[in-house]
Amino acid sequence: MPTVTDGERTGLQTRARRQAERFRDFVDDTSPEALVTMTVIAVSLLAAFVGFLLVSSLTVVPFAVFLLASGYGWFRHQEETALILTLTTTVSTLLILGLIIVFIFRESIPVVQYESATVFGVSVPGLRMFVETRWDAVASPVRYSMVPMIHGTVMVTVIATAVAAPLGVSAALFLSEIAPDVVREVVKPGVEILAGIPSIVYGFIGFTVLSPWASDQFDLSGQGTYLFVGVVVGLMALPTVVSVAEDALSSVPESMKSGSLAVGTTDWQTMTSITLPAAFSGVSAAVLLGVGRAIGETMAATVMLRGVPRLTEPLMNVFYGQETLTSLIARNYGEADGLQLDALFVAGVILFVTVLGISIGAQYIEWRMRRKLGGEV
Amino acid sequence: MASSTRSQLVESDTSATDAVAAGAVGLSAILFALSLAALFEAVTISQPVAGVSAVTLLGGLLAVLGTAVVAFGVGSWLGYVETTPSSSAGLVAASVAAIAWFTVAGGVASQTLGLGTAGGIVGGLLGGAVAFAATALTREDLGSTVPVGALCLLTGLVFATGVIGPEWIWGLGWEQTASLTAEFVIPVATLFATLFAGWAAAKAYGGFGARGRRLGAYTLIYLNAISIVAFLFILVAFVVVQGLPGLFTGVQVGAGVGPQTTIFGVSFTLPLSVPFVMNGVALLNDYQGVLPAIIGTIWLVIGAVLFAVPLGVGAAIFLTEYAERGRFTQVVEIATNGLWSTPSIVFGLFGFAFLVPRFGNRKSLLAGMLTLGFMLLPLVVITSREAMVAVPDKYRDASVALGVSRWETIKSVVLPAALPGVVTGVILGVGRIAGETAPILLTMAGGTFVPGSQTVDVIGGFEFTAAPPFVANPELLQATSALPYQLFALITAGVGLGDNVASPEQFRWATALILLIVVLSFYAIGIATRYYFRNKLRHD
Repeated sequence: MPTVTDGERTGLQTRARRQAERFRDFVDDTSPEALVTMTVIAVSLLAAFVGFLLVSSLTVVPFAVFLLASGYGWFRHQEETALILTLTTTVSTLLILGLIIVFIFRESIPVVQYESATVFGVSVPGLRMFVETRWDAVASPVRYSMVPMIHGTVMVTVIATAVAAPLGVSAALFLSEIAPDVVREVVKPGVEILAGIPSIVYGFIGFTVLSPWASDQFDLSGQGTYLFVGVVVGLMALPTVVSVAEDALSSVPESMKSGSLAVGTTDWQTMTSITLPAAFSGVSAAVLLGVGRAIGETMAATVMLRGVPRLTEPLMNVFYGQETLTSLIARNYGEADGLQLDALFVAGVILFVTVLGISIGAQYIEWRMRRKLGGEV
Repeated sequence: MASSTRSQLVESDTSATDAVAAGAVGLSAILFALSLAALFEAVTISQPVAGVSAVTLLGGLLAVLGTAVVAFGVGSWLGYVETTPSSSAGLVAASVAAIAWFTVAGGVASQTLGLGTAGGIVGGLLGGAVAFAATALTREDLGSTVPVGALCLLTGLVFATGVIGPEWIWGLGWEQTASLTAEFVIPVATLFATLFAGWAAAKAYGGFGARGRRLGAYTLIYLNAISIVAFLFILVAFVVVQGLPGLFTGVQVGAGVGPQTTIFGVSFTLPLSVPFVMNGVALLNDYQGVLPAIIGTIWLVIGAVLFAVPLGVGAAIFLTEYAERGRFTQVVEIATNGLWSTPSIVFGLFGFAFLVPRFGNRKSLLAGMLTLGFMLLPLVVITSREAMVAVPDKYRDASVALGVSRWETIKSVVLPAALPGVVTGVILGVGRIAGETAPILLTMAGGTFVPGSQTVDVIGGFEFTAAPPFVANPELLQATSALPYQLFALITAGVGLGDNVASPEQFRWATALILLIVVLSFYAIGIATRYYFRNKLRHD
């Protein structure tokens, strides 16, 4: 590779050499019989996976070989078998993420091609989904625009964040800094249980209680508002914000807080001028993760919204709730086929990419904070 | 003279001025409760309470509260009240005041004075700027009371004099019509004004300065914590109250009333019959039930746990015990965290595209199990890893020093020590996936009602076949129901329900209750396990 500089190349080479050396050492240290067993386990599992991917009915054969080899290895060479099996589980975790990416992207390709738009004579696949606002799977022209749903998701997420961020950070502050032990033992499980209430139950209560009430209060025609979907989703994202922010706040070294208290500040002053600034990046990661949760929330939105894939008039009209990316999928998967089904996968791709980006961003922020506070990275 | 050198350690005893501030805090609490009651229509705002209409009462109390807050601030400024104010109330308080006044002034300019949207924004900005300056640039005792008090006073007077009465309505004039009605605006405005005034009053009670700020902030933070717990209780209680009638429909207690059960070959009749959880749906049933959905949920959870726990714990062992910290572990960590935050509907889509075509091209219990297993996996990896990292290194060192091999160390030292954390994590994770609807919607769920005869029997379903794959289980490969999906189907089915169940509303709420009971019992067990292990560790 001509683009790689010499320094990098030697770095890579030494690393590769070290890996190869370690591998050779391992092979030398291990009995040939154990090595064979390990190889059989790995190869048979790989074959089973390939068979599964190809929808072969013979998949069961390599899988049975894998089970037999593992069983044999477990009794004769437990040390090596355990190593190869745990390695396999780790790889399969990575593999699942890879498979998700491959499969949802693959399914969305046809509609991306269908929705090509021409800009300056260049055909850009998928562009029309983001510049037009028409979603109509039946009447001609058939269009699968994502704009109304993105608008809906943004509306819900903004409202949800406005609810979850201040309440969540304040509750985290309470739990990690203020609450006496007895109170904490009550509130903390409470927050966890709040996370456990199924989203469909929230949605059901929203659907039977909040939506009719909101229609009445705001004189609306029909039911379903972004405002209250946002509030409900915000409450559902609250526990995520609380637990991550609490972790961040309690990771601030005790010595920093004591130092502040020792010069005679009140504990509130310590919180606002020491703890919160020190944990700021962790707290913002918590809010980010809460945003991620809010974007992906499905069932509450599905039952509470109207299911009309159109923009609200005007755009800032929060009193009408049309459709979000998640509810679009949950509502239409049943009768959809062909391009429309693929369009649902596009919605899935948008959700997946956004939330993965948020997750990686939040992890980066947390990692930087841990490094700054001098903990282990 | 000895007495002249005696300095005052305690600032003052409870005095009349303290009583005013405390009274204002109390009044805020009362108004807070009243406005919540009005918001949820426990009190109708036009209804007379003690001779005056509720809106007048709210307005009057708000005006009194505002006056008290302003009076305290001005009194402190003039030196009648002994306080220790800082030089400014701070930018946070100023921003909140500015936002509140922006809303009020904007509304007045655009609606009352009829200046339109542009005029409203200009007026709002003007009002907000004045409030910001008044809060930030004056001494703390004035800055944190006067803008707030004035806001309360104004709002209170508007309500009390009937400028915004019970019949008031503001059509927003949007294409999709929406209006702000008095029923909403009055309680919400009261709510925010009271919160703000309550903060100012608590601050005044603390005598401003560092102590006052602490008191003001703590009041709000405690209120927030209490509200979250109260919200949880109300939510659960509401579902319980609504769900019980449906759950207890047709319950019979007595010998021989229940369904026949066979355990270990002994057949007996339960002395209790709860049709809702013991029946499926059938034409000739007296009472319909959701038994297939309950069994479906149980099998789903079992399948997901069988898939995810070995994988997750294995990965956690490899990452903590075998792998060196480096690029690879970092990538796995990012991937698991990414999987953890992936929306559940995306897992559903993935199962739909990946698993469904591989299991007979139709929705099946097995596909649902695996999809939920995929969702559970990252959580198991994360919690198990945390638990294993928390095992002190001296345990491992001691074991290795005795000449024990690595895997033996893991098996007999690390895993037992990490077990409480792993178990708790798994149980809490199971609670989360048991209530998930979106993934099984696309991969597993069948019709709205599943007949009792189709209750899945996975163990009895295994059979051997001559052709590969040699083992088949039709029970695993057919669509079935689960509680969360059942509830979703009941909600969306709407009117069509009437033919099947006597009271659709009761049936729905009872389903929600059963779902809540199933999920929350997982949480209760998980939290109890954690306490049990923690207490045990503490005693050691």
